[in-house]
Amino acid sequence: MKFYLCIDDTDNIDSIGTGTIAEQIKDKILSLGYGPCSLIVRHQLFIHEDIPYTSHNSSMCFYGEAPDDAYGQIISMASEHLNTVAATGSDPGLCILKVTDSMNYSPLIEFGKSAKKIVLTKKDAQNCAKENNLHLSEHGGTGQGIIGALAGIGLQIFGSDGEIKGALKTMAINRIYTVAELLTFPEVQQVIDFNSKECLKSDTQILINSRTKTVLFKNKYVLFVEKNNTHNYHSFKKSDLRQLGENFYV
Amino acid sequence: MFEKNHLSHNDWSEAHRIASNCKDFVEDVEEEWIADEMPSCYNCRYRRCIPSGIKCIKPSKLL
Repeated sequence: MKFYLCIDDTDNIDSIGTGTIAEQIKDKILSLGYGPCSLIVRHQLFIHEDIPYTSHNSSMCFYGEAPDDAYGQIISMASEHLNTVAATGSDPGLCILKVTDSMNYSPLIEFGKSAKKIVLTKKDAQNCAKENNLHLSEHGGTGQGIIGALAGIGLQIFGSDGEIKGALKTMAINRIYTVAELLTFPEVQQVIDFNSKECLKSDTQILINSRTKTVLFKNKYVLFVEKNNTHNYHSFKKSDLRQLGENFYV
Repeated sequence: MFEKNHLSHNDWSEAHRIASNCKDFVEDVEEEWIADEMPSCYNCRYRRCIPSGIKCIKPSKLL
């Protein structure tokens, strides 16, 4: 089976991050002999005063492969892990989807997109999870994290949202790479001109001159680059990526 | 510009200046860094994202 797993609101200001906990759950799934699993994607959700997020309101999602009969085991393991490591004062939520090819996940995708634009309720999340046959569970506090956990899966299935966690940590700054070299990083599947959306050829040279990230775009891990005044390509700053706005993806 | 412990979305140099002089700056996890400059309030564990930018949640300690 193909499954998606997403967690949200597991941390407090002094604890390990939600991304780290997602990595731990992924490692446990791999240690059970299941997988492979994707990289973890950070999905930014709506920033609003009525939403009780810790500091950034993002959820962490990945997908993987496992035997059909492992679904219950993955739910139990992830639940137990969240119950053990989630931070005091957090409101953790866990969502897991066992993919059914015949299902139409459009409502789930719409839920994810909505969670980037409007304030949703736990009831909204519970209804959507029930209608689309997802596991959705609260693991302490108010359980408010179920909203972001469900939204993260919707956005991951949508395929164009979020930054790849941990991406490009080992990439040197102020160095020129060819696209072929960039594609050797597991977090880079395509290098795309931000303005033309053209997929660049393997011998194109890119100056990595700032901290950057790959993003999930059309179901690929994409490194966006742009041309400078002298028509040479350089990396797209992470700070600029964060400000693309929802219209860029949708 | 730094008013009421709040910075707008793009105040990179001011965020770097403040964080460089802040005893309470703690680097956030890498996936939550935004600014290129380090240290920066935008990369601090004790910042909270708000619709207009970021807000410091340890305002009494800021210089």
